[in-house]
Amino acid sequence: MRKTKLIASLLALWTVIAVLTGCGGTTTSQKSVEVIAKGFQHDFWKAVKKGADQAGKDLGVKINFVGPEGEGAIAAQVEMINNAINKKPDAICIAALDTTASLDAVNKAKANNIPVIGFDSGVPGAPEGTIYANASTDNYKAGELAAQKMFEAIQGKLSSGKPRIGVVSQEANSQSISMRTQGFLDKMENLIKSTGKTVSIIGHTKFANGVSGGDVTIDIAIPPEINDTQGQTSAQTLLNKNDLIAIYGSNEFAAKAIINADAAISGGRIGNDKVVAVGFDSGALQIDAIRNRKFLGSVTQDPISIGYRAVELAVKAMNGEASDDIDTGSQWYTADNIDSDTIKPLLYQ
Amino acid sequence: MNDIIENIKTKGMQKFIALGALIVLYIAFSVFGTNFFTVDTLVSIFDASYYIGFLAIGVTFVIITGGIDLSIGTVMMCSAIVGGTLYNNAGLPLWLCLIIIILVGGIFGLGNGIMVSRLKLPPFIATLGTMMVASGVGSIVSNVQSTTFPMRSAADGWYKDIFRTADNFPTGIFVLIAFTVVAVILLNKTVIGRYTFAIGSNKEATRLSGVNVQKWETVVYVLSGLFAGLAGIAYAATYTTILPGAGQGFELQAIAGVVVGGTSLSGGVGSIIGTFIGVFIMSVLKIGLPYVDLQPHYQTLITGIVVIGAVLLDIYRSKKEKSVKQKS
Repeated sequence: MRKTKLIASLLALWTVIAVLTGCGGTTTSQKSVEVIAKGFQHDFWKAVKKGADQAGKDLGVKINFVGPEGEGAIAAQVEMINNAINKKPDAICIAALDTTASLDAVNKAKANNIPVIGFDSGVPGAPEGTIYANASTDNYKAGELAAQKMFEAIQGKLSSGKPRIGVVSQEANSQSISMRTQGFLDKMENLIKSTGKTVSIIGHTKFANGVSGGDVTIDIAIPPEINDTQGQTSAQTLLNKNDLIAIYGSNEFAAKAIINADAAISGGRIGNDKVVAVGFDSGALQIDAIRNRKFLGSVTQDPISIGYRAVELAVKAMNGEASDDIDTGSQWYTADNIDSDTIKPLLYQ
Repeated sequence: MNDIIENIKTKGMQKFIALGALIVLYIAFSVFGTNFFTVDTLVSIFDASYYIGFLAIGVTFVIITGGIDLSIGTVMMCSAIVGGTLYNNAGLPLWLCLIIIILVGGIFGLGNGIMVSRLKLPPFIATLGTMMVASGVGSIVSNVQSTTFPMRSAADGWYKDIFRTADNFPTGIFVLIAFTVVAVILLNKTVIGRYTFAIGSNKEATRLSGVNVQKWETVVYVLSGLFAGLAGIAYAATYTTILPGAGQGFELQAIAGVVVGGTSLSGGVGSIIGTFIGVFIMSVLKIGLPYVDLQPHYQTLITGIVVIGAVLLDIYRSKKEKSVKQKS
């Protein structure tokens, strides 16, 4: 029994020390910007943080970069936004996981006269005047770019039989991922229609176009849960369809799902002379797949620029200057230009 | 004597139902799913079962003692991320990192065991805390960066062969079966197993009969942690990249497998073979549902209904068992 008490009191002591040392913050009169990202899981956010920190240094503002554990943690992120507002910073940058869940917090910031800057997917649909400006990839345009490049590669195969194009999308709720999927779908549909063929889009009610039996089918697979097993299964159901000629993954998670699913199929299905695969963002597996020409190529955003521009906008907002939204751009990369000076800094392992 | 015969009958019945359900599911997906009935798909079902299988086998012991281990999902990811970070950043040989992965799982298990058995924390709370601690530790150790294990083409790609060879041969199923057999022996033929059941049936009576309950309860949680470590290796071999802060939810999938396999959450009753079958039922569902072109929200719905159905079946069965006992 005494032993138990000893252990318990040691634990308590340890907790106290941890709390004390953790709270040893300093206060300065420097202007501060709270940056709330979507999470730290993906290296994408590390690059965004790098850009934000750099801008903080260049422009002389203090950056506090936070994010929830994972991209499913909507409630945790809303709490983080509220905490950020309570700290009364000079500006807040938000990449909202869920637009509607964040709206209250955004309105609260407005009431407190703290300017809100959207970055990455921003806070789409926020009421007029609550968001100062956005620094983000035009995800719709980026999706179109992926469709354009894929179309050029599969143009010749569209007339043989009734081919299928697969799309793996991490989810249907997030604005940024939905727009990339939507941009891809719209562009691909238009490009195929311009050759005189009809297109059916199936697989998910949100994206389906209600046409059945088209000359070309675009088949969307969305995993019921965001984890590697479910992602791989979704990709594999597409890869197992014999009429598949191309497949697109609209973020790092989806690209990884395609790569893992392909590795689990004897002989493999994807490759430049087999099923044409196009991805989005980077990550170790995807870069490897592009180098080995399993993937035709991928679209990358410019995460460093997203972080940098967001903070730049925040400083402008503090100083009362007006600004428009900034498209931080997207680039197409393949095995041939992956090591070039324009692409290399945008990719992360 | 009659009791024992009755017991075997009902227990055998439960496993028979579970196995039957598994076969019926597999056949149904084969008939209705496009290209479901292929070797590649079967290998994918195995792939999805390795890590959940290890988690489930480990937690079966804990559940039989009447406890619960909610930490296994994040402990699995944390162990893997510690091993991967040591491999990538500290340059340790891969075999050593794999051993460390298992040990890290064991250490978390020991923490759970001490909290539950000595500090008398309710298992639910203790392991819920560990779930968060493991998630945090993984993020801290990796500096919140994802960890990529060597790819198959790399010099150290051999560890992938433990679960699937380059020709897509599912070596992992033999590994899983081997550990299942070890667990069956542990649970049914050794002191650990005897005391596991005893603690789950009546902890106080077990203590009064001179068994060191604290020790054996700790051992059971360590076992669960070690299996979570094994699951970490399986996960790394299958999915290569490990994200920090991930893993929550896997513990519930594993526990669902255990429950579907007929182990009672109130303790004292359970079997490893049942868990093995339960895990495969969940995997076949997970892999099979997309093949019948169901949209994701329906997949989640159906999986939930299956879990509830299995537990209802279990309750109905044990009620019947009781009434039979009372009559005789």
